[in-house]
Amino acid sequence: MNVKKTYPWYFALGAIIIYFILCFLPGVVGLFYSLTDWNAYSKEVNYIGFKNYLDIFKGNSQYGTFIWNTLTFTLVTTILKTVVGLGMALLLTNKLIKLSSFHRMVVFSPQVMSYLVVGLVFKSLLHPSTGFVNNFLAGVGLEFMKRNWLTDLHLAFNTVMTVDTWKGAGYIMVIMIAALQSISPTYYEAAGIDGASYWHKFRYITFPLLKPIIINATILNVTYGLRVFDMVYALTNGGPGNATGVINTAVYKEFSRGNYAMGTTLSSVLFIFVLAILYFIIKAMENKEVDA
Amino acid sequence: MRKVFALTMAALMTTTIFAGCAGAKSAAPSETGKPATEEAKEESKPAESKKGVTLTFGSHQSGLPTTGIVQSLAKEFEAETGNKIDFQISPDAQWRDLIKVKLNSGEAPDIFCVDADPLSLNSRISPADNVLPVTNEEFVQRMDPNVLPSISYNKEVYGITFPGKKMYYYIYNKDIFKELNLTVPTNYEEFKKVCQTIKDAGITPIYEATQNGWHQVLPLFESGPMYAKKHEGLYDKMNKNEANLDDIPELLTIIKQLKEFADLGYYGDNFLSNTFENAKAAFANKEAAMVMAETGWAFEVIADFPEMKLEQMGIFVMPWGDNQIVGVNPASNAYFINKKSENADVALEFFKFLARPENLQKRLDGQPGILDVCWPEVPSRYPADFKTYIDGLEKGTVMQAAVSYVDSQWMEVGKDLEDMYVGAITPEQLVKIIADRRDEQALLQKDPAWAK
Repeated sequence: MNVKKTYPWYFALGAIIIYFILCFLPGVVGLFYSLTDWNAYSKEVNYIGFKNYLDIFKGNSQYGTFIWNTLTFTLVTTILKTVVGLGMALLLTNKLIKLSSFHRMVVFSPQVMSYLVVGLVFKSLLHPSTGFVNNFLAGVGLEFMKRNWLTDLHLAFNTVMTVDTWKGAGYIMVIMIAALQSISPTYYEAAGIDGASYWHKFRYITFPLLKPIIINATILNVTYGLRVFDMVYALTNGGPGNATGVINTAVYKEFSRGNYAMGTTLSSVLFIFVLAILYFIIKAMENKEVDA
Repeated sequence: MRKVFALTMAALMTTTIFAGCAGAKSAAPSETGKPATEEAKEESKPAESKKGVTLTFGSHQSGLPTTGIVQSLAKEFEAETGNKIDFQISPDAQWRDLIKVKLNSGEAPDIFCVDADPLSLNSRISPADNVLPVTNEEFVQRMDPNVLPSISYNKEVYGITFPGKKMYYYIYNKDIFKELNLTVPTNYEEFKKVCQTIKDAGITPIYEATQNGWHQVLPLFESGPMYAKKHEGLYDKMNKNEANLDDIPELLTIIKQLKEFADLGYYGDNFLSNTFENAKAAFANKEAAMVMAETGWAFEVIADFPEMKLEQMGIFVMPWGDNQIVGVNPASNAYFINKKSENADVALEFFKFLARPENLQKRLDGQPGILDVCWPEVPSRYPADFKTYIDGLEKGTVMQAAVSYVDSQWMEVGKDLEDMYVGAITPEQLVKIIADRRDEQALLQKDPAWAK
């Protein structure tokens, strides 16, 4: 026990109570409601066991697609945002790049726009006949690359993930830049004297020292990815058909149908996913943290 | 001593925060069951009309005429009463979900527009919980009695509606038909041949507006009278849970035909991105030869593209599944007042304003897309050509206005059809999905017919 600690534990009591009541308790209550038939048409709430969970995971339900889409979205956007964000950060901390602050602002700017605005703007840009993208491709002689970006079954979800990466990579870039700037230049100088190449410096200095930040960025991306709603809703509304639906669009749909219990069940599934995935990420973080 | 002080401080801080929370809950239900703020407002309500109020009016795109006539009337209302209407318009494909979520979370606008029909009103907006009844208002007596069931629930009238009965046809460009020597199709095979000829001429045969979510669903349920004619007592059996959508072979046939048309390219290449709002331009510019719409839509085209003349446009019954009966839908969109609104009285004033005879006439005149309103005091204006054709047709009630749990899943069926068009599901799977959804909704609402 650290006898020199400044504050006793009960100073955190207020925060703990608030967290418990406002964050933890609703989650537990949600789990309880997921075991009932709670809906908009009846005042009664009856216990029905795990029926809602069985409905989600049984054979040919659409929920399976939504869960799969959510996990795919999370994995792909996390990787893309981290890679693009890190790449941009490396590029824009390089002294060879002029006006780097301006470039950083440009790359970061999509982050401050609302998801709805981004969704509507891209919906217009990606319209197959009147949109900028297809008309631009036709204009520069790349007619064969024109696509139905948001209505082609095989493309729509990729498009959504790309737009989301475009919007979110700037944020990750800013975090990475802050981390990169905190690495002491003496490491690089010493490595340079030893004849290390750019790649070697990145591999043996930058990357290990960035690891804690990359893990934090991953946590942010994963929790966002699992909870994604607005981007999908604004861009495709889950379409074509239900091809780009995710857990939260399904939750929204169930609430609007008046089937609160099913909406809560889906939320609970998400809650459990988030908790489980975060647990493993934090465990990994504890084991692999590197001191700068 | 320090420990005691620290503990006291921690307890005090926590209490202060919760005291703040309690303060925010002043609108919680009181003993009478009404929110305290509402009660106070009722008590302090001035005798004369309020002024300077801004009412929020939520609607989907199709709920308000694109000509802006309702907004113009709202301006007149503002000039007269000093109360403003703030219109909040959402995309068609999102509104049904959005308004339900808003109602369920207590964030609904003061006035909201929803599609209303006798069977879905309760599941859509739970009027008894959310809507101010207007049963005893003078204007209710002046509305066509045939539309009242659509805006009523448990003997209470809840809304106000304007459009007359709806009938959907294919509106076609007579010039294109004449140039290509085509005649109006009366069955599916003829329809296919007509479309192929038009497609061969480099024109999109049919403008299908899939983005809106509702348009593609029309052939399935507007053909209801044909199903009902072929299967006696069908609607009744469906409402008694003795038959479901998968018991109607003609429905599956029509769905397969829709898929065939999509695959043959009769809707064009980008129909999944098409919106109904752009149909007029495509039709007027001869990019598309046919559009499924109400007859009044022809006048909207003329209003936006004056070079188009009524003589250039004709109508014919949708020949899906060789159908030749036109479906009549007495239901339409209607406006409702949020019961929990602080300004429900001002909203009611607005309804009374809209229902004035001169404003009803203004509304009909200002909305070329409708040819009559459901207010008998305002004469209709069907053109003679259309009237003669329509009068000669066999008619019946559309399925969504007569069979439960059909209209409530309209937008979802629109998505299912998209799924089918992109190859994610087959027509057979689609029929099963929508039949199962009926069962699911009925069970959720504890429909006695499904309890057996």
